[in-house]
Amino acid sequence: MKVQVLFFGATADATGEREIEIDLSDETRTVNAFQNIVARFPQLENHSLLFAVNQEYASGDEVIRDGDELAVFTHVSGG
Amino acid sequence: MHETKNQRPKTEDRQSKDFFELTFEPLDVGAIARRIVPETCGATVTLDGYVRQFTKDRETLYLEYEGYEPMAVREMEKLVAQAREQFEIAAVGIVHRLGKLEIGETSVVISVAAPHRRAAFEACEWLIKELKRVVPIWKKEIYRGGEVWIEDTS
Repeated sequence: MKVQVLFFGATADATGEREIEIDLSDETRTVNAFQNIVARFPQLENHSLLFAVNQEYASGDEVIRDGDELAVFTHVSGG
Repeated sequence: MHETKNQRPKTEDRQSKDFFELTFEPLDVGAIARRIVPETCGATVTLDGYVRQFTKDRETLYLEYEGYEPMAVREMEKLVAQAREQFEIAAVGIVHRLGKLEIGETSVVISVAAPHRRAAFEACEWLIKELKRVVPIWKKEIYRGGEVWIEDTS
């Protein structure tokens, strides 16, 4: 199945990407999906990361579904 | 401009005036504050957050804000719902600006209207603290001698 992965700010700079599509096996959980993404972009390991699935912060054990929108970003700094 | 309306006001105030928005345009603080003035209220507390030039010895030249826009609006809406459960307030407006901001320009406005001022002050302080903790917006600081995405929560 295919999912979208979004990057913002420091993670967009680190990966050189703002949005990619990746293939995941069925029944993948978010913790494994994000391990997969970090393995593709090891430079992300230099950052403290937060993850979201479908615009909600991820706990790690959600089951990813085809077409989901994942996001990888650093600690927020608005205000 | 991205905008959603609060469709499920938590209080008996059926004509909720809450709003949570992102914009790339300059913010008019007074106009934002005046959008929430319920008949039952006696005070509005407004935070005007703007771009600081000096952080200790470091001179900021300008900031660039980026947001995960749909998620940011959803997180702001959740914060308003949580604030309504904790504080005796009647209406909240939050607008955060994105893009390039010069020194002194307003980056965020939070206005809270309440029957009595104490709850409005407390809710406004709680809302900015939580916004800085959970709403997916990031600032890149371009300072004299370099630039950096701000990643810590200090």
